[in-house]
Amino acid sequence: MQKQRSLLALIFLLVIAAVWVIVTIPVPLGLDLRGGSQLTIEVKTTPEIKQIGERELEAVQTVLSKRVNGLGVSEPVIQTAGNDKILVQLPGVDNPEQAERVLGGTAQLEFKTQKQNTEAQLFALRSNRQQLQVKQDELRSGNDAAAIEKNQQELKTNQEAIAELFASLETPLTGKFLTNANPLSPEQGGRGWSVSLQFNQKGGELFAELTKNLAGTGRSIGIFLDNELISAASVGPQFANTGITGGNAVIEGQFTAQDAQDLAVQLRGGSLPVPIEIVENRTVGATLGRDSIQSSIYAAVGGLIVVLIFMVLYYRLPGVIADLALIIYALLTWACFALLGVTLTLPGIAGFILSIGMAVDANVLIFERTREELRAGKSLYRSVESGFYRAFSSILDSNVTTLIACAALFWLGFGLVKGFAVTLAVGVAVSMFTAVTCSRTLMFLAIRIDSIRKPELFCPNLPTSNKAEVAK
Amino acid sequence: MKLHVNKSRNLWWIISSSIILAGIISMAISWQLLGAPLRPSLDFVGGTRLQFERDCSLPNNCDEEVDINIVREVATSQGLADSSIQLIADRETREKNGVLIRTKTLDVEKRTQLESALSEKIGTFDSAKKQIDTVGPTLGRQLFNTGITALIVAFSGIVIYLSIRFKLDYAVFAIVATFHDILMTTGIFSIFGLLFGIEVDSLFIVALLTITGFSVNDTVVIYDRIRETLKVNPDRPIVEIVDDAVNQTLARSINTTATTLLSLVAIVLFGGETLKNFALALILGFIAGAYSSIFIASTLLAWWRERQEKSNPPSAGTNEQLTANS
Repeated sequence: MQKQRSLLALIFLLVIAAVWVIVTIPVPLGLDLRGGSQLTIEVKTTPEIKQIGERELEAVQTVLSKRVNGLGVSEPVIQTAGNDKILVQLPGVDNPEQAERVLGGTAQLEFKTQKQNTEAQLFALRSNRQQLQVKQDELRSGNDAAAIEKNQQELKTNQEAIAELFASLETPLTGKFLTNANPLSPEQGGRGWSVSLQFNQKGGELFAELTKNLAGTGRSIGIFLDNELISAASVGPQFANTGITGGNAVIEGQFTAQDAQDLAVQLRGGSLPVPIEIVENRTVGATLGRDSIQSSIYAAVGGLIVVLIFMVLYYRLPGVIADLALIIYALLTWACFALLGVTLTLPGIAGFILSIGMAVDANVLIFERTREELRAGKSLYRSVESGFYRAFSSILDSNVTTLIACAALFWLGFGLVKGFAVTLAVGVAVSMFTAVTCSRTLMFLAIRIDSIRKPELFCPNLPTSNKAEVAK
Repeated sequence: MKLHVNKSRNLWWIISSSIILAGIISMAISWQLLGAPLRPSLDFVGGTRLQFERDCSLPNNCDEEVDINIVREVATSQGLADSSIQLIADRETREKNGVLIRTKTLDVEKRTQLESALSEKIGTFDSAKKQIDTVGPTLGRQLFNTGITALIVAFSGIVIYLSIRFKLDYAVFAIVATFHDILMTTGIFSIFGLLFGIEVDSLFIVALLTITGFSVNDTVVIYDRIRETLKVNPDRPIVEIVDDAVNQTLARSINTTATTLLSLVAIVLFGGETLKNFALALILGFIAGAYSSIFIASTLLAWWRERQEKSNPPSAGTNEQLTANS
């Protein structure tokens, strides 16, 4: 009796604590419920960097963080996943396309000098390039995939040929010397959208050297982004002595406002040491997320209520006790989610709903056993006692097998699947506790009360000969 | 009423075998048609799935329902003639205001192009109702491999646990029963894939793992009871003991499955698109699990023990000594 009192007190305390936890610590919602984009980014190797190590991953992560900040998304999450992947979560992002474009580009910016005596060649290649681009646009509106592919290949060959005509400085003038980059509207700076650049001191010196060498020669500065020439400009002879000083430059391409903005964000964030590829994108609009929350609440509450009703109808008094235990179970489980910082995703909710069904299982096992013992003519107290005692090995076995499955899911799991494994595992663990402590304590408490110590309340259609025995 | 499962065990075995056989045939046909035993979703083969819905708060934006032929024309003009296109109806108004397009993997540029081309023809889309799923082909393969590995690891873990807890023949038949449930579920999903185009995604693998856990539960409860009775009455014929054990645990088997199914039906009814097929797989698997534990696992064990008894007559009273350690 003493033991049961203290157990009862413990349960009571736990419930209070659980309610307090639920009220104070919100369970964070996954992107599939609150809306947003989740991008999986794979870091690629290059001929120079054959193996992706921690250093590369970290460098990529830093650059991506800067770019994400440039996008102005609140509470982004950027974390590594596995050996060569980075997971970026952008809650509530309203332009997922922009995010993907900005994050995906390598943004290797380099200023190069044109090699001597290549003017005619460059001119020919550039006009060829223009033709190819016009053709590409035409092809795109049709649907001849093979022709598009072929033209794309030609463009690439052309691009490589152009790159051949330019040489890097001794210390290549790249994006890492930039301190700032901003989009410039046509009103602010000449023809169409452009991007203004500001170099640091070293960059400024290099830029002066570059422009000095080229001034008045007719050869151009080539501005390359990811090895593609985006603009080429000649330098006037008046700079032949000093070069262009001050460390400011403007890139003019045929940019749209969006292009200029994306490029500025990328340049500010710095270039990536290795190329990356977005291999997975899961984006859910905010409204869709809200709909999902609503429907999952319906499903969870609906499932719970139907199960509660079923238990009372079938198991009577023990059913009521099981229901109480089940509600305690739901509170404790939810509190565990909050404490463990489980992010609730749609599959996670499914795991929770499923675990409600499993939590019932333990009770069902116990009550069926109790009924059997009653039918075998044992007293109520002894039946309940052996019901709990005998059912325990089955409960243990069945829960352990489910936990094994959860563990496998968790260790090898990916994104969505992990959420399910965690919630189901927490649910199973809590359900073991509530079945053997809550149901048990409450049950023993109930059979102490004379007015409800009626066998009919425990088991219907009990042979009358047994009833007298039971009431003892 | 008492259920004599062992009396008509040939019948149960035939029922199971024919369902499984149908599944296997369907998987073979699938393999011929689709190159995979089940219809794989983009999770496993890569691809892009786009869902757009029109913004009906704008004036005149939703005057006419979306015409699927226009959508198809736009897709064709973008070089995506072989993509699958579906219209989606609004949940409240039942008007077809949304489109769902499944194509090969599209990068962000091609996707934006497709979206603006569509938007031009059928109306402005609501960006808060957009859903994008893109999986690269290599990642798809990786997801598939991890999924299968998880399945194998879990399976081996459960085999090891059962062999420790029970005698070997119990463990083997529990696994056979579980395998039966997995085969049935995949078989039926393969048939669904052929008939209704239902795809299997990574959640399907999760469902299979959960089914494995649950199905073993059901079987374990019955075996637990057989073990218990054998300890008390080692000389009763095994067929009787098994029949009794099944009957004693029958209410539990049915009730547990029923309560779990109730929650799952709630998911199917209210739970939204993503979880529907997942819940469906679980429902099939759990029903198969309850069925196999009552009719297959039990009868197989009885059949095996009978054979054992015949081959080494009664002297082997120790034969029934169990490794019970609970």
